[in-house]
Amino acid sequence: MIEAFFNGILYVFLFVTLYLEVFFLITFFEERGNLTEKSKNKKLSYYPSTTIIVPCWNEEKTVAGTIHSLLRLNYPKNKLNIFIVDDGSTDNTWEVIQKFANNPQITLIKKENGGKHTAVNLGIKESNSELIGCLDADSFVEKDALLEIARAFNEDKLMMAATPMLVVHEPQTMLQKMQKTEYHTGAFLKRMLSPLDAINVTPGPFSIFRKEVYEKIGLYKKAHNTEDMEFALRMQAHHMRIRNVHTAQVHTKTPDTLYKLYRQRLRWAYGTMKNTLDYRFMIFRREYGILGMITLPLSFFGVFIFLYNFGFIAFHSIQRLLEKAIQISTTGFSFAIPQFDSFFFNTDFMALLSYVFLGLGLFIIWNGVRLAEGRFRPTTGIFYFIVLYGIVAPLWFTRAVWNVLFSKGTNWR
Amino acid sequence: MRAKIETKKYILTFVITAMVFFGALLASNRFAERRLSEVKSIEDKISLDLLSSETQFALLKESSCKAIDHSTAFSEELNSLTQKLSYMEDNLGGENPEVLSLKKYYSLLQIKDSLLVKQVNEKCGVKPITIIYFYSNKGDCDECKREGYVLTKLREEYPELRIYSFDYNLDLSAVKTLKSIYGVKNTLPALIIWDENYYGFKSATDIEKIVPQLKRLREAREKAAQTKTATSTKK
Repeated sequence: MIEAFFNGILYVFLFVTLYLEVFFLITFFEERGNLTEKSKNKKLSYYPSTTIIVPCWNEEKTVAGTIHSLLRLNYPKNKLNIFIVDDGSTDNTWEVIQKFANNPQITLIKKENGGKHTAVNLGIKESNSELIGCLDADSFVEKDALLEIARAFNEDKLMMAATPMLVVHEPQTMLQKMQKTEYHTGAFLKRMLSPLDAINVTPGPFSIFRKEVYEKIGLYKKAHNTEDMEFALRMQAHHMRIRNVHTAQVHTKTPDTLYKLYRQRLRWAYGTMKNTLDYRFMIFRREYGILGMITLPLSFFGVFIFLYNFGFIAFHSIQRLLEKAIQISTTGFSFAIPQFDSFFFNTDFMALLSYVFLGLGLFIIWNGVRLAEGRFRPTTGIFYFIVLYGIVAPLWFTRAVWNVLFSKGTNWR
Repeated sequence: MRAKIETKKYILTFVITAMVFFGALLASNRFAERRLSEVKSIEDKISLDLLSSETQFALLKESSCKAIDHSTAFSEELNSLTQKLSYMEDNLGGENPEVLSLKKYYSLLQIKDSLLVKQVNEKCGVKPITIIYFYSNKGDCDECKREGYVLTKLREEYPELRIYSFDYNLDLSAVKTLKSIYGVKNTLPALIIWDENYYGFKSATDIEKIVPQLKRLREAREKAAQTKTATSTKK
C-alpha cells in the first residue's frame, strides 16, 4: 500500500519530466532551421557603442587573461570601453590591472568591497554606451562574441538583453569534464528557451543589455547571491525580451574540486529557488508565457522532483547492493562470468522508461555538443556526466532545499 | 511582444508523452506475458519429459536397471526454471494469479519427479541425494533468502544433487500432503534430507556434513580434472 503510494507519486513526476523533455524536443524541431553557425560576414552595418564591466574581487590570477580576451575582440576600438572595477580586493588584483592603466579603451575603478552587484552598478552609472554588459574576471570571450551579439541586437530591435553560450574553459579534472557536458546540455536548453521568451537568468559572463533596460527597471540589487537571475526575472516581469545568442561563445573557469563545486551550486540552487519564490506572482500565469508555465515551476519544483527520483533510485540501488552483500557473505564471491540470457533483461515499466530518458538525454547532449563545437565527438566528459551528475547533484540540491525551508542564506565562496 | 503560448503545442506534447508513457507500460506488460509463456512452455516440456520417463519406467519395469534412464530430463531444466520463476515472482509479485498458477504447476512437477526418481532408485538400489526445501516469502522467514543462495550454489556445484523447493504457504493440496507426510513445522527455512527434517539456516558446510557424499563427489571431480590436465600436459 505504502509502496503503491510512493510509486504513484514517482509515476506523476516521471510523466512531468517526460513531458518537459518532449516539449524541448518539439521546440528543437521547430527551431532547427535557426540553429545556424556563425555568420561568415565579419562586418556590421552599425556598431553600437558598448561598455563591458569586469567586476573583480581577488582575481589576480585570472583578471589579466580576461582583459586580454576583451582587447582581442573583433570590434571597433572606439566603440568598446572596458571598465575594470576592483571591488576592494585584498590580493594584488589592483596592482595586476595597473599595466592596463594607459590603454585608452580601459578605465580602472577601485571601490570598497560591497559585493559583485555594487561593482557592476558603479560601472553602469559611469557608462554612456548603448550596450552594457559584464564579464566575470574568471571568464574569457571568443573573438567574435561581441560582434555576434551586436548583430543580434541590430536585427531585433525589441531584444533588450542577449546571453551568450557558456562553455567550460580548459577542463582538467573529472568534475570539470563532467561540467563541460553539463554546460553543453544547459546551452542547448537555453537556446530552446530563447525563442519561447522563457530565459530566467542572464549569467554574469558576458550577458549584454541595452542601456534603457537599466533606465527602465533600475540597477542590480542584492538577491540571494544570484543577482543575475533576479535581474532576468525583473526584466521578464516587465515583458522585456531576452535572447540567447549561441554563436557568441564565452569560456568560463569552473570549480575543480567537489567542495568548490558544491559551494557554487548550492549558491545557484538556493538563489534559483529563492528568486523564483520572490517572483512567484508569475508562476502559472498565462501572461508570462512559457516562463510562467514551464521555466519558473521547473526552477522551483524541479529540485523536489529531481530529489524524489534520486531517492527512489538510491533506495532500490542500496537494497540491491545489500542483497548482493548478503549473497556474497553467505556463499562467498563467485568469479564465474554470468551467462547472458535475454529472459533476465530488465523490461519492466521503470526500466523501459529509464531507457527512454537515457535516449532523450543522449539526444540533448548530442545536440548540445554540436551547438557548441559544430560537430559531435564522444568524450569522457559525457560518460562522467551520465554516471556522476546524478550522484553529486543531490548534495547541493538537498542542502539548498534545507536552506530554503529554514531560511539559511549562502555565501559567495 | 512575448512569445505566445501555443495550446496546440501543449496538447501535442501531452499526446506524445502519454503515448510514450503508456506505450512503455503496454510494452512491459507484453514482455511479462512473453516471459510467463516461456516459463509455461518449459513447464510443459518438463511435463512431457516426465510422462515419457514414467512410460519408459512402466514399459521396462521388468527389465534391467541399465535400460532405465536414471536422470529424468527434469533435472536439466530445473535450475533455469527455478531462476526464471523466481525472477517473475520478484517482478510481478507472488500474488500475481499467473505466477501463482505456474508455481503450483511447478510444485506438482517437482513432486511427480521426486516420486519417479524414488521408484527408479528403489528398483535399482541407488540412494539419490535429494533435498526438499520449504521456504516462505511472506516476510516471516528472515533466513529463507540466504538459504536460497546456499541451495542455488550447491545446485550449481553438484548437478547430481536434486533440490525440490516448495513455498510453505502455497495453497495446493499436494504440497499440504507433502508437508503432513514429512511433518514439517512452520519453522522456516526447513530442509528434508533423507527423510530427516532440519530447521533454521544451514550453510553449505552444514549440508555437506549432513551429506558426506557431496564431498566425495567433489573430490572425484577434482581428481578427474587433475588427471585430464596431466594427460593434456603430457601431449
